[in-house]
Amino acid sequence: MPLGTRAGAFVRRHRLAPYLLLAPALAGIALVLLWPLAQVLIFSFQNYGLPQITGAAPTQWVGQANFAATLADPEFWLSLRITVLFAAVAVPLTLIAGTVVGLLLNRLGKKMAAFVSTAALLAWATPPVSASVLFYWLFNPDGGLVDWTLSKLPHALVGSTDWAGFNWTTTGALQAYTVLTMLVVWQAFPFIAVTTLAGLKTVPAELYEAARVDGAGPWRVFWKITYPLLKPIFLVLLLLSVIWDFNVFTQTYILTGFPGNRDEFNLALYMYDKAFGFPPSYGLGGALAVIFTVILLVITVGYVRSSVRQGALT
Amino acid sequence: MGASVPSQVTWMNGVVGQFHAKFPQFKSTKVVVDWIPWGNRTTDWTNALTSGKGGPDITELGNTDTPGVAAQGALANVTAQVKSWPSGADLIAGNLANDTIGTTSYAVPWFGGVRGIWYRKDQFARAGLTSAPTTWAQLVSDAKLLMKKYPGTYGLGAPSNYTNAIVSFIWGAGGQVAVSQGGKWVAELNSPQSEAGIRFYADLYLTEHVSPAKYIGQTELGAPGATSGGSDEDFAKGTLDMYIDGPWAQASLTQVSTKYKADWASFPIPSENGPSPAPAFAGGSDLGVWARSQNKTAAWDLVTVMDSPANATTFANSQGFFPEFTSQLSSGVYTSSPILAGFAKAAGFTQISPLNSKNWGVADATDAIIPTMMKALMQGANFAATVDKANTELQNVLNTGSE
Repeated sequence: MPLGTRAGAFVRRHRLAPYLLLAPALAGIALVLLWPLAQVLIFSFQNYGLPQITGAAPTQWVGQANFAATLADPEFWLSLRITVLFAAVAVPLTLIAGTVVGLLLNRLGKKMAAFVSTAALLAWATPPVSASVLFYWLFNPDGGLVDWTLSKLPHALVGSTDWAGFNWTTTGALQAYTVLTMLVVWQAFPFIAVTTLAGLKTVPAELYEAARVDGAGPWRVFWKITYPLLKPIFLVLLLLSVIWDFNVFTQTYILTGFPGNRDEFNLALYMYDKAFGFPPSYGLGGALAVIFTVILLVITVGYVRSSVRQGALT
Repeated sequence: MGASVPSQVTWMNGVVGQFHAKFPQFKSTKVVVDWIPWGNRTTDWTNALTSGKGGPDITELGNTDTPGVAAQGALANVTAQVKSWPSGADLIAGNLANDTIGTTSYAVPWFGGVRGIWYRKDQFARAGLTSAPTTWAQLVSDAKLLMKKYPGTYGLGAPSNYTNAIVSFIWGAGGQVAVSQGGKWVAELNSPQSEAGIRFYADLYLTEHVSPAKYIGQTELGAPGATSGGSDEDFAKGTLDMYIDGPWAQASLTQVSTKYKADWASFPIPSENGPSPAPAFAGGSDLGVWARSQNKTAAWDLVTVMDSPANATTFANSQGFFPEFTSQLSSGVYTSSPILAGFAKAAGFTQISPLNSKNWGVADATDAIIPTMMKALMQGANFAATVDKANTELQNVLNTGSE
């Protein structure tokens, strides 16, 4: 028997074909994902920084010192709190806005639906940097459109604050994250809307007809028909939104002034500052990346578990 | 500092010509100059160090950067070269000491500058103010008077993220940021004198209302990282009556507006009770040779041409800075210009410690301890608790590693 044939028989006997087909992809993932992940994990237990890179000082294993330093830093807890609170506000707003627009799109005529979805998708397609700069100018204390408009409105309506020079982005976390919530929701809801619309197209029209004949209003129809049928989609969207809103970096970086206001750090900014501020500490950055990953994994695993249990994801 | 302006390029081209003439062995050495925005400098150093490539032969450094960057192993030891350089002895001794860790010199001072308070002669005249304030009480009453005479303006800008001005108020009340005792740093932000300075600065916004809310979270140049919309622009536009900055701001003020340029003038930051001004932070820039440079000899020789008393003075003058040579500073050139006179006076009362300690870069540029404290105070946080917290943080950071 020639060699090729014998190898073929070996593969068939041990049912290796699927694994062989997977191998190139796995190798690629190992190279670009697993190895850097391992590297980050290694750094998180070292004092790795500039002197170690230049050779001015030796790299040392420092045990869990990077983790201990992070957990003992009040700025870490402040940034975690800001991250969680921001997600707690931005995620529901995104999902509600997206779902409502999705329902609207489902009922609009062809031309109007095309118009609305194009307008929404443009917001989604705007690069985060451009969108942040746009909002930076809208909310600028020196002649920004929002400040100008608010200053023209009667005091009875908007309070007596000096709106003309109101600095939204750097005077405090609450003001800054109000703007950031608008920005992030504006950019994220179109994806939710389109995905919801795709889901709605799969719901048989007879169900809605039957409900309407039975006298159900739109609120009841949504909760009794649409929501149960689209629950798997909503769960995935919820999970994605949480992950995205935990990770908001570009927008916070630009709007809060290029790591210049530490009381407005979210976790992503805090991590960037620790890892790449001067002098950089890749050890602390690595530890933070590990902590960050664990937090997101806990959330992800929690949702996947609960949804599998409810039979939503099968 | 910053991306280049034409006068800098002209000056640098002249320096390179002199370098080639003076050092014939480097006649055919090509000198490449990268003008980088000031805010990018630490990122660029980090990238050069981590990649091991693209590092400079010579770099400009802010004088508060030098100790920290040297501690990262980035700068070459130039102790012997400074000693054998004839002009080295004429350098302002305190500023050279700033570039020296132990007995090793890592850079040489290139130009210096101090902050003072910019004001407008026409506004002072119309308000009936005949002399510059020399106490805090006068400063505040002048600011309020100007606001009354010029409705819609603010009296004196007090951005929260502005350590280099805030320290002048701490020092101006007789306080210290931190003092070195037996090889350890002891932070003194919560001494009664320091607290008086911190409180005065915070109250410029909180109780005196001479500074607007929008400067909270801003540097003197606006939101950190941004290049527009700060107290400098407001002063140039005429919506802020007095603002704290150095003489180097003239170039950027002129870019915003030249409407009031003829009336611009300066006075030193007053101390709490006068009559001498508050000590000003002795800012400035240094020149260092990169540790990994392949051309250290040529690099040092070029430094000596860039930093020759004549060339350094020309450069400093064109950019609104002061030269770092005692012989040049004592000439009468500076006292005759209205803009420079106040700054020249302030230059006689300077302090740099602890802003030249090895960990100051981390304490201020990275951890932003004083800006974060001042911002919290301006947001209405409890005074004693906030200052105590900053004081503890500062002492921890300053004592990190071995000094």
